[in-house]
Amino acid sequence: MGFIYEGLLKAFELLFNGNPETWSAVYITLCVSSLSIFFTILLGAPLGFVLGYCRFKGRETLRMITDTLLSFPTVVIGLLVYSLVSRQGPLGDYGLLFTLPGIAIGQVMLGMPIVVAMVANAVENSDSGMKDTLLTLGADNIQVLKATLWETRYHLMLAGVAAYGRIVSEIGISMMVGGNIKWHTRTITTAIALETGKGEFAMGIALGVVLLIIAFGVNFSVAKLKRRAGQ
Amino acid sequence: MSLYQLSNIVQTYGGRPVLTIDSLELTAGSITGIFGPNGSGKSTLMRMLAFLEAPQQGTIHFNGNATSITETSLRREVTLLTQQPYLLKRSVKENIEYGLHVRGLKSTSGIAADALEEVGLSAEKFLSRQWFELSGGEAQRVALAARLAVNPSVLLMDEPTSSLDEESTERIRNAALRAKNERRTSLIIVSHDREWLTSVSDSTVLIRNGKIESTQCG
Repeated sequence: MGFIYEGLLKAFELLFNGNPETWSAVYITLCVSSLSIFFTILLGAPLGFVLGYCRFKGRETLRMITDTLLSFPTVVIGLLVYSLVSRQGPLGDYGLLFTLPGIAIGQVMLGMPIVVAMVANAVENSDSGMKDTLLTLGADNIQVLKATLWETRYHLMLAGVAAYGRIVSEIGISMMVGGNIKWHTRTITTAIALETGKGEFAMGIALGVVLLIIAFGVNFSVAKLKRRAGQ
Repeated sequence: MSLYQLSNIVQTYGGRPVLTIDSLELTAGSITGIFGPNGSGKSTLMRMLAFLEAPQQGTIHFNGNATSITETSLRREVTLLTQQPYLLKRSVKENIEYGLHVRGLKSTSGIAADALEEVGLSAEKFLSRQWFELSGGEAQRVALAARLAVNPSVLLMDEPTSSLDEESTERIRNAALRAKNERRTSLIIVSHDREWLTSVSDSTVLIRNGKIESTQCG
């Protein structure tokens, strides 16, 4: 037990003394996860809206596929993106392997099903009186769409926060596509795996603490948004 | 003058006919009361008059013209207050001004305040309140204020007093009469409360089993 206690003390030392290696992993994690969540919401929210709002042939099948993708293992996504961006892959010419945009592609694939499924559910389950109210107050179709998105805004934010929680804590994609390159693509999770493997528990714990703080922030936001969405 | 003219209307849900009207004419500038037992097709009729759903058969003429539910312009003349109105997740002021906003009209603070006062709610107290800070009766009256603010040609009210106390019911009655007399709004009101409905209406229509059983003037 002693080494855990010692590791914890050293972890706080590393964090508060501004250890560049520790903070580099934190910085890279925040950069890549911000990029990923931006594109996840940008692409996922309209898709979720269409899936929840419109009635078309094959909609149920699409919903089922989306729900299945919710449990897509990160290493499988990593493998898929690796095969796409590696030199022989169709996106090989863009030089995305072992870069942050490469990791972001995989993380968008990870977060998208969460946003699509949650937004589709929110729109589908929104009060049936809402559309009638908007129409009867004189809104045209575009105004109905805009107002519906605004009315379900807390659910949209909830979807974004939930997807962010999954993105920031994944390791498979970052490891396989990013390559865990120090100062460049080493994220919190890949650094924890590496440092623990080397027996450097202190840095692992320090990064774990940061990840826990982020996770706490995410869960706190989820709880707040859930309360607002329920009102 | 004829406001609505319904001819050979048939509406079915899942193959089951819920409303069959051979002919019905509703006049402009008056209050028409519609009553009948549960499941008689009153709400379906209101949805058709609000251009929210089209009949499977038959035609609806509005102000002498054939109609289609895809026309937003029609829904900007006719507005419906449902039994359990939905309030947008915004402040009372934003709820009342939404109808003006979608019409591209600039809203002045006076319009929302006047509409609130018309339904017996203090503008000073209620304008800044959020949707979740209202009781059921207050929400019903805010929803009515939102409809009055857009100054519609036709105001449809589906069971507007079903969840209200006596005082609020009286306020709704006064608001309906004022809309007719001062704004020249035509009103069509569905209610279970036949006595209240008769007290406010110029004519009444009885619907039973999806068919018009009788119409009565005065």
